[in-house]
Amino acid sequence: MRFVRNYSSLLLFVLLLAGIPFFVEDPYFLSILVFVGIYSIATMGLNLLMGYAGQISLGHAAFYAIGAYTSGILTSQYNVNFFLSGGCAIALAVVVAYIIGIPCLRLKGHYLAMGTLAFGEIVYIFLNATVDFTGGPSGIAAIPEFRVGEFFFDSDLKFYILVWCIFILLFVVTRNIVHSRMGRALRSLHGSEQAASAMGVNVADLKVKVFVLSAAYAALAGVLYAHFVTFISPQTSDLMFSIRLVTMVVVGGMGHLWGCVLGSAILTVLPEMLSYFEDYDMLIYGCILLGMVMFLPGGLTRGAEMLYAKCVKKAGKRGDA
Amino acid sequence: MPDAILKAADITKEFGGITALKDLSFAVQEGAIHAIIGPNGAGKTTLINVLSGFLPPDTGTISLNNQVITGQKSHDIAKLGIGRTFQNAEIFGNMSVLENVMVGRHTRTSAGLFSSALTLPRARREEKQIRDHALSCLETVGLLDLAAVAAASIPIGNQRLLEVARALASEPRVLLLDEPAAGLNTQETRMLAELIRSIQQRGITVIIVEHDMELVMDISDDILVINFGEKIAVGSPAEIQANPEVIAVYLGEEG
Repeated sequence: MRFVRNYSSLLLFVLLLAGIPFFVEDPYFLSILVFVGIYSIATMGLNLLMGYAGQISLGHAAFYAIGAYTSGILTSQYNVNFFLSGGCAIALAVVVAYIIGIPCLRLKGHYLAMGTLAFGEIVYIFLNATVDFTGGPSGIAAIPEFRVGEFFFDSDLKFYILVWCIFILLFVVTRNIVHSRMGRALRSLHGSEQAASAMGVNVADLKVKVFVLSAAYAALAGVLYAHFVTFISPQTSDLMFSIRLVTMVVVGGMGHLWGCVLGSAILTVLPEMLSYFEDYDMLIYGCILLGMVMFLPGGLTRGAEMLYAKCVKKAGKRGDA
Repeated sequence: MPDAILKAADITKEFGGITALKDLSFAVQEGAIHAIIGPNGAGKTTLINVLSGFLPPDTGTISLNNQVITGQKSHDIAKLGIGRTFQNAEIFGNMSVLENVMVGRHTRTSAGLFSSALTLPRARREEKQIRDHALSCLETVGLLDLAAVAAASIPIGNQRLLEVARALASEPRVLLLDEPAAGLNTQETRMLAELIRSIQQRGITVIIVEHDMELVMDISDDILVINFGEKIAVGSPAEIQANPEVIAVYLGEEG
């Protein structure tokens, strides 16, 4: 029973996810939901860094790229097993994040944003320049589809199930972290680094840890992307993508785990829907984002919470009368 | 002195040519309430920051229980048993009152990212202990009713009490209070005095920096007076009140 109570929203969400394929015939729509899942995984990690620990990163596309390229190259050119290539991809991202994180996370605010942005650009330039290795600007094509033994994830539906199963697993793990001693320590960094330090929290060490952890999430998302789309180029992980990830976290709701799903869904689905407006799509897209940030600074999840609280209050008043 | 828990010897701290602390030496008796007073800019907060590892002293040594702790990082010093509060109530505004205090248990618990991520039974047991202990600390300072409230929304007086509760949660051997009465009304200050005494009765040594002389004279066992980073006098409240140098510092040189 306690399980049901603790995970009621997650159970509802799983039911919703399980139901969607029965009602949706359009494979295009299903593939969009796969992307939402992939971005949700990346933003969940970024949310730990931004929403919980209060540290910004404008370079997370780089970790996404490291994940996608490493696994893409290993499987397509060296016939490496998927689990091994995925593991290597995440491990490489972790090592890079650790090396980058130690100097970068000494920076604060805008400086940290600039530092991580510079790192992202370096990776972007590297991917473009090392033509022999990464294919340069034209990228890598014919990345094999994900498979376990003889089971091929060759349809959107199969990949949909795979991605969202991974998401749910990670969601549970992340939720546990957030509600633990370490999760509180993360949030204490956001609240007051001085006080956190006075409580015995090793501020510098913990910042690097959460940075590395969030890089691992991004790399995993990158791996999934590479084997779903079966093609990658530096364009998939440029500065705009880093900014999009940050926007997903902010629009969804910083420091709220469901925010990563909402933010990813809106920022993925909205541009698709707005393509109806053709030339004006970016203008309308920009206005919608601006409006959300202005009127719902806590993100959509906070907005929904406030709305819910208002409704409950109103219902309560009506009950009294 | 064999029973001094905290000793500072020849502490000097300069900020770009300005001497904030100069050859300062003093000892704090275990279980005492030890006040540090002095005019504005005397170096009191700098001293608290040096004792808690937030600022490294330029010269001199600090020892806790005869173990030299100079140069250690603030989070390590917290682990060794020096807790502190801040002059401008550094609460975690993004958390509830209870969660603030639960962070205080950080040094006394050990669950890492991995065991928390999988909610291993050990982590779950520890989590319950953290919660229970934090609640008892809130009860000590009288904030139990506000446990679930957002910490940012409670008044400043309660925020100061919350800081004390959070520091208590780490079971410090020495508690540094930096102007805990600032912004409190008379009644709140009286309650604070009671609270500090009860903390002393738990065997915790209290070092308090405070401007409220009535409070200082009321609760302190020993008082250290500093001015321009130098020691002016040290002694019991009665001795300090009778000390002509102290009076001169507080009332002007003519006296």
